[in-house]
Amino acid sequence: MKLLTKASGIYLLFLLSLYLITALAFYWITRVVIYDEVESRLQVEKRDFEAYIQLHQAWSSSCYFVENKIEVVPVTYKEPITEMYKDTLIYNRYEDQDDPFRQITFYTKIGNADYKVSIRKSLIQTYKLIEVITFVMVTFLSLLLILMYWFQRRLSGNLWKPFYNTLSKIKQFDLTSVTPIDLKKEEVDEFDELNQVLKRMAEKMQHDYRSLKEFTENASHEIQTPLALINVRVEQLLQSSSLSQQQTYWIDEIYQASRRMSRLHQGLLLLTKIENHQFRDAEQVNLTELAKNKVLDFEEFLIMRQLTVDVDLKEPFLVNISPALADSLVNNLLSNAIKYSKPEGILRIFTHARQLCIYNSGEPLKNDPEKLFDRFKKDSDGSESLGLGLAIVKQICENYQLQLQYTYSYGMHCFCVSAPVSELS
Amino acid sequence: MKILIIEDEKGLSESISDYLTKEGFVCEVASNYWEAEEKVNLYYYECVVVDLMLPGGDGYDIVGMLKKIAVTTGIIIISARNALEDKIKGLELGSDDYLTKPFHLSELNARIKSLIRRRHFGGNTEITYHEIRVQTQSRKVFVQDEETPLSRKEYDLLLYFLSNVDVALTKSSIAEHLWGDNIDTVDSLDIVYSHIKNLRRKLLEKGSTDYIQSIYGIGYKFGTP
Repeated sequence: MKLLTKASGIYLLFLLSLYLITALAFYWITRVVIYDEVESRLQVEKRDFEAYIQLHQAWSSSCYFVENKIEVVPVTYKEPITEMYKDTLIYNRYEDQDDPFRQITFYTKIGNADYKVSIRKSLIQTYKLIEVITFVMVTFLSLLLILMYWFQRRLSGNLWKPFYNTLSKIKQFDLTSVTPIDLKKEEVDEFDELNQVLKRMAEKMQHDYRSLKEFTENASHEIQTPLALINVRVEQLLQSSSLSQQQTYWIDEIYQASRRMSRLHQGLLLLTKIENHQFRDAEQVNLTELAKNKVLDFEEFLIMRQLTVDVDLKEPFLVNISPALADSLVNNLLSNAIKYSKPEGILRIFTHARQLCIYNSGEPLKNDPEKLFDRFKKDSDGSESLGLGLAIVKQICENYQLQLQYTYSYGMHCFCVSAPVSELS
Repeated sequence: MKILIIEDEKGLSESISDYLTKEGFVCEVASNYWEAEEKVNLYYYECVVVDLMLPGGDGYDIVGMLKKIAVTTGIIIISARNALEDKIKGLELGSDDYLTKPFHLSELNARIKSLIRRRHFGGNTEITYHEIRVQTQSRKVFVQDEETPLSRKEYDLLLYFLSNVDVALTKSSIAEHLWGDNIDTVDSLDIVYSHIKNLRRKLLEKGSTDYIQSIYGIGYKFGTP
């Protein structure tokens, strides 16, 4: 729900209830005031009536010409009241309708007999007054309400405009670009403060991104260069013919360790770069085609392991991904499958329009499959493996919202990469 | 054959220079951008090995400069940066090859030789080693003038050996030469062994001397026993 809609809704609800309460209160107050007036008039008439009875000790309705104004009825039973007001309707014979009256009822003695006396006063005038006043009230209040509502909407719309501007700017903000976020100075202090804070945050983020990027680049240079030096020096050392077997063994260990370190470092750098979303050259890549080529690349390895390869790569599986990462993804999955398949086992690769699956036969995992994709979590203790391949696969899938699934059934490990769910619709 | 090595890490340039000198090249070294710029402008080299990050400038600029003043010079970039975009940028600017640090000297040597063959002889060269003759254009191998059919990998392996005669080659350098470094070392050493076995068998069958010697714990050496 939008902020303005919500604010307007609350405001409208509040205005309406206020309006209702005011209208009711106004109606009620007017009514009370008018009744009060009518009742005091009735009291006066009652006194006139009593004065008349005192004087004449009798009542003749003829003395009051107007019909129904005073009604005197002889009674035998007296209700336990002294006097009572009530509203009543009396038929108007000229206008053929019932007219509202206010009536005071009391008991009195005329001579020796008890009489119930009702004095009435027409409320027609006052009712009309109330109607007019109510109508005017309602009209003006409604007008006020509409105006207030309109004004409030306009005002909030204008007030929150800088906020919406800022919001759209943040949405367009590109972490990797060098141009700073363009937030203007605002009149309202709070929004200006917000913009300042956001500006600082954005600058910091861009700066951090850049320095991280530089760091990975420098780290790569600074570490690979000495490693390269170790490597070439060892290679030169190996050329020497005067080495004993023991020395050769040591040198080879140094050599292997330095190469391993270099590969490890490259793997970690790659992971960092993927995590930082430094690969921004996404394009349509056909993973089926890629898998086909990779199977050819690994041909000797497949033969070496005497794997039965079952390939079904016909339907293209198109993914919007950086080509370098697509290569790494398929390469890691395939080399992983070959590495952990038992000799003379089965390797099955198939794709369809939304999925790439690689199966390999092998013993079930000793560890928790959840940990399979963690860094340096190796299921076997083969020291050759770096333990980064599947972590890289997982990170690539996360970056491109690809779904990665691992299952084990009937002696087959299976890794499936599926297209993002969002594309289903 | 003159080669210029542009590399700021002294040990590295020294090693490369030593190795290549043994292989019969004349090597010069430049350790920063200005030195490299001067040498490139003054002399002609068959091949230039250039690092990308140099004190005083960018290796890419040297590549650009070379493309203008010495068209036939072969250019190999050696860099610690192994991002695909760096490689693409290097190749787009006109370098002929891109090698990621750390690399094997034997690999660099093989690439320089292959590059020189491509550049100066249009790839149409014959490499002869005693009774073995390789036509690089048609990728054909002859032993005592008799054609010896080799698989793609066996041919690459032989050529790698012929580029690094009398040099101890490590198994991992051979594996990486044949499959690139993106192939993790899954069984690669065993595969190297099986390929060498096959190559040796095929050469011996045609009457070649056994030039491939295995060096205990390290790898192999190709040369006259």
